[in-house]
Amino acid sequence: MSSDIRKWFMKTQDKGAASSGAAKPSGAAATEKKKPVLSIPEKKPAPPSLASCDHDPSARRKTSKYFGSKSEKDSDVEMADAAAGRSTDKSAAKRKLQKGNNELKDDSKPLPAKKMTKDDEDDDGDDDFVAPSKKKTPVKPPPSKKPKVESNVEAPGRTTGTDDGEEEDKMDEDAKTPSKGAGRGRGGRGAAATPGGRGRGGGGRGFMNFGERKDPPHKGEKEVPEGAPDCLSGLTFVISGTLDSLEREEATDLIKRYGGRVTGSISKKTSYLLADEDIGGVKSNKAKDLGVPFLTEDGLFDLIRKSKPAKAPVDKHQSSNGSEKLQKSQTKSSPARIDKRAEASAVDKSIASKSNVTSASDENQKAKKIDRGSMQWTEKYRPKVPNDIVGNQSMVKQLHDWLKSWDTHFLHSGQKGKGKKPVDNGAKKAVLLSGPPGIGKTTTAKVVSQMLGLQAIEVNASDSRGKADSKIEKGVGGSTSNSIKELISNATLNYGDNRAKHPKAVLIMDEVDGMSAGDRGGVADLISSIKISKIPIICICNDRYSQKLKSLVNYCLMLNFRKPTKLQMGKRLMEIAKKEGIQAQENAMEELAERVHGDIRMALNHLQYMSLSQSVVKYDDIRVRLNSSAKDEDISPFTAVDKLFGFNGGRLRMDERIDYGMSDPDLVPLIIQENYINYRPNTIGKDESGVKRMNALARAAESIADGDLVNVQIRRYRQWQLSQAACFASSIVPAALMHGNREVLEAGERNFNRFGGWLGKYSTTNKNIRLLEDAHSHILASQQANLDRETLRLDYLTLLLRQLTDPLKTMPKDEAVQKVVEFMDTYSLSQEDFDTIVEISKFKGHPSPMDGIQPAVKSALTKAYKQGSSSRVVRAADLINIPGMKKPLKKRVAAILEPVEESLPDENGAASAEADEEDSSDTENNDELVPGDSKPKLDLKSDKKKGIQVQLDLKSNGNDSGGKKTPAARSRGPGSGGKAVGSSAGKRKR
Amino acid sequence: MLWVDKYRPKTLDKVTVHDQVAQNLRKLVSEQDCPHLLFYGPSGSGKKTLILALIKQMFGAGAEKVKMENKTWKIDTGTRTLEIELAMLSSAHHVEMNPSDAGFQDRYVVQEVIKEMAKNRPIDAKGKRAFKVLVLNEVDKLSREAQHSLRRTMEKYSASCRLILCCNSSSKVTEAVRSRCLNVRVNAPSEDQIVQVLEFIGKKENLQLPAGFAARIAAQSNRNLRRAILFFETCKVQQYPFTSNQAAPPLDWEQYVSEISTDILTEQSPKRLYAVRQKFYELLVNCIPPESILKKLLAELLKKLDADLKHEICHWAAHYEHKMRLGSKAIFHLEAFVAKFMSIYKEFLVASFG
Repeated sequence: MSSDIRKWFMKTQDKGAASSGAAKPSGAAATEKKKPVLSIPEKKPAPPSLASCDHDPSARRKTSKYFGSKSEKDSDVEMADAAAGRSTDKSAAKRKLQKGNNELKDDSKPLPAKKMTKDDEDDDGDDDFVAPSKKKTPVKPPPSKKPKVESNVEAPGRTTGTDDGEEEDKMDEDAKTPSKGAGRGRGGRGAAATPGGRGRGGGGRGFMNFGERKDPPHKGEKEVPEGAPDCLSGLTFVISGTLDSLEREEATDLIKRYGGRVTGSISKKTSYLLADEDIGGVKSNKAKDLGVPFLTEDGLFDLIRKSKPAKAPVDKHQSSNGSEKLQKSQTKSSPARIDKRAEASAVDKSIASKSNVTSASDENQKAKKIDRGSMQWTEKYRPKVPNDIVGNQSMVKQLHDWLKSWDTHFLHSGQKGKGKKPVDNGAKKAVLLSGPPGIGKTTTAKVVSQMLGLQAIEVNASDSRGKADSKIEKGVGGSTSNSIKELISNATLNYGDNRAKHPKAVLIMDEVDGMSAGDRGGVADLISSIKISKIPIICICNDRYSQKLKSLVNYCLMLNFRKPTKLQMGKRLMEIAKKEGIQAQENAMEELAERVHGDIRMALNHLQYMSLSQSVVKYDDIRVRLNSSAKDEDISPFTAVDKLFGFNGGRLRMDERIDYGMSDPDLVPLIIQENYINYRPNTIGKDESGVKRMNALARAAESIADGDLVNVQIRRYRQWQLSQAACFASSIVPAALMHGNREVLEAGERNFNRFGGWLGKYSTTNKNIRLLEDAHSHILASQQANLDRETLRLDYLTLLLRQLTDPLKTMPKDEAVQKVVEFMDTYSLSQEDFDTIVEISKFKGHPSPMDGIQPAVKSALTKAYKQGSSSRVVRAADLINIPGMKKPLKKRVAAILEPVEESLPDENGAASAEADEEDSSDTENNDELVPGDSKPKLDLKSDKKKGIQVQLDLKSNGNDSGGKKTPAARSRGPGSGGKAVGSSAGKRKR
Repeated sequence: MLWVDKYRPKTLDKVTVHDQVAQNLRKLVSEQDCPHLLFYGPSGSGKKTLILALIKQMFGAGAEKVKMENKTWKIDTGTRTLEIELAMLSSAHHVEMNPSDAGFQDRYVVQEVIKEMAKNRPIDAKGKRAFKVLVLNEVDKLSREAQHSLRRTMEKYSASCRLILCCNSSSKVTEAVRSRCLNVRVNAPSEDQIVQVLEFIGKKENLQLPAGFAARIAAQSNRNLRRAILFFETCKVQQYPFTSNQAAPPLDWEQYVSEISTDILTEQSPKRLYAVRQKFYELLVNCIPPESILKKLLAELLKKLDADLKHEICHWAAHYEHKMRLGSKAIFHLEAFVAKFMSIYKEFLVASFG
């Protein structure tokens, strides 16, 4: 059946059938009934056919194969085709015409047949409908926006007209339809028959439905109709739910292509809610509240199809075919039909007139063309007055006010010094404009100063802006090269005296965030200039959070420019296009604005370039053109992961996937790894037992693990050529296996991708390992045990923990504390080690080892431990506060603190030499590279007196100490060892 | 002091469990020349004890005076300067270090640090030994590159330095290194030997051991003497006098791992996999080496697994352990193993029980 439909559609298109009542397009075949159909027979305006033929993008006829089952890619391609077709339109036109004629001949019977075949009901409906709509026409208010361009023609009431029409329609509808949810079914799609809503050929489509809740049920089965350009212009659509055969993106494209607008939420201005099912959501409720009519996908197709200017005869034939089929299906007079019809009529009209306009303006354009200079448009259309500036009007205003009142604030306020305080009435002496490139910051600054009659002096990155000669006073505002400085200072100096002669000046410092690279001291100098400046300074930057500008920000009034909205930009672009004689669609311009992400300059450049080859710019042109030259945009890793895992992740092209995966080759794999479990893959089909999903998970996990291996090769052996392989294994394969709908695994979790947990856990792990290593080295240093860290954790820890905590739980307080402290002393464990041991023995879901210990006992332990600390032997290198040194050591000291009694006798020549070494390295810790070492030694000795026995490890015999120290000592020699010297004596950064 | 340290034999003469090995070592040393040595064997079998006793035998009591240092080595690799921090335990005669702590920079440790140390002769030649000893722990964790660097060092500086390598598995030490050493295999003590040791300790501590108590602990320790002694003391701390059926409480992490295995076996679903991942993280954060986790997990799973699957599961465990060693993010591999297991097991369950 679907093939039937397609054929049918294709013919229609070829014919370019449009307006005639006969042109009932959509008539779907068997199951589908074409409801909307008839409509506006008589009314069609004469002009359309020929004129519109030119515009008719007939090149786009896509075969269903082409379109079927695929992704936006295809539609892109298709679009490309279309565009190509269009650009060659003119040349091809003749051919088409011929073809059209042929076809005309073929099917010239049509019209009457069709009407006859219709059921009565339909007829009734039509009549009802047609009548009002006709009446309405005269009433329609004069043109809305677009028409401006083509004002000579009577433009069809676009938005307003339609709305009116619709409202009335709706009333009609209400009256007519017995309330009931009929509205829902409305989509021309045999709603009556199949309650399921999706109803077109009940049986046959099941195969496409599995698993993919979100896929359009008849994806690609319907031929997308062609219509007259701009046939939807002035209409605003909101898409809700799943459509019957189009992806949402496709539908959006389609609507935009014909000049419609798609918005995200319903408002009064919304013309239609495009929905095929899934009524009852927020959108549909709101739509009902606001009286926004519903439209089904078929209805949309009809709208478009009907708009197509056509030769009447052709349609007739076509429709007769269609209508036969139609007969089979029951047509319920659903409101949708009515809507559609109304719409269609309105649209038809508008199109007709438009095509007139088009031809007319074409001529105009030719005339104008001659005018085009070679000047860059960006210069040519640079705003001349503040009001020309697109968007950010409030910023412009602020800047204006600030400039205007500058004098009052800083010059004529009597006290000269006042301005130096940034707090001065909240007024600042300089202003900092920030915002992305191309949105008119520089222009704003210039225009505003110009308007105020100030002479703007611009200093940008092309000028040297290094610190001027250390004497800033010499050049006021002179953080700049000498010439500029002079200029400014002159202007400034003269300013007070002969105001009449010299215009006031304003300094525009462009691109300040690029300043510190080559311009040493630039920002600091700028600040000091600001402080003493007698002229206003406007600074401009892209990123106001830049580290370089941090200090500057305090002295400036911050004005943050935002991207203009696409509407604002679209409007401006339209104006320019008009001036340049380009025939441009409004939504094409908006699309352009969107594609360049608010960068007007870029938009103009594109536009100018396009103007060289085309005089008509349509939505598709923009799409095609900017597909390749789209402005690169940073996407966040989250966006990338969303895309990869997204429901349609399977349809991304490989290069897109790689782009996403590589957008942040470190973070994306981590986020993928964190979240892949949450996805229910839509590729696996039916999976009751969950086995398939588990298999997919296992494969994904395996691939992620592989990615880790590749990553090791990359990082450890610097095999960067493997980046793509890593990206493939760690991001693309898991995403390809798992993409689908995200599920929540943990109660209370938000259904968004989590940030990769690995980084956090990794750093905690490392921290704990470090702490454990501390405890380990303390134990080693106690010389009671010799074990490695792993053994400590795996085997010892359980018992250690018991020895440390059990007494506290069971025994009387003092005794327990006594015992634990003794035990800690045996192994040189410090209080921190105690905490470490407790900390890393905690497992989630297990009782904490500290449970059952009274706080009082705990504090008693701390107290007891502290008490003993004066006589405690800490044998490990540690952070020690050595009395006599001003600040605590940042690094670990290798010294081992020993009880005095033991060490003193051992001290001999060799040992003290060694001590010297240690001392000197200690000294280095404090960043004094004192070669001599006597002083620190003294400190150490004095320490002994103070009762904290600080003593290097001198325990070993004199004989031995030389050998023992050798490694470190020797390493001070030449070569790499030499470098090790400073710190080799073993301290350690914490 | 813990018993495990208290009753560690300090000299070769006092070694009881591996007395044969100890005798041989003593003879070896007394002949004045000592080759490079490689001790290998499962953990808790007494390698370290033997090494320390051996060093003491060589150098006398001086070797017992050790100090602990954390040294930062600056190493010039040509393009950049690395800072490597290593903890080393040194006495006048020997230095003990764990080069694999430097992670994937262990190569530089071997190339620079060890070479540097090996190159220098001891200053005092009047001692009876003209060499010093470098004890390298966990050589099986050294990267391949580091091991390759090691072998030249071993030959070139053998005049001034002896290496004593210590590892669990000799198969992870390259052939070249192994052939340059005298390999000393240190077996896990048999349960009988463990029982003897426990009884010895019990006697020294004046404890009453119920019949079969020592044997039970020995069995629980999985022939790991150190663990057995620790268990023994844990029991003592937990409850004394011992009751006849008293068993040592399991190690905290082992208990956690066996919980994970129960989780996995009771439910195989993405949700459970996610929960398991959290638990793995918990273990890793608590410094449990991932290899131990995987090994223990496998052991736990095998206990309850259908015989048909055992072989396959072992294969995958080995597979992922290998990958874990090659990779750097252990959790990925642990998770992959669990996912694989779940997938296989679930399929098996569905196939056999519908």
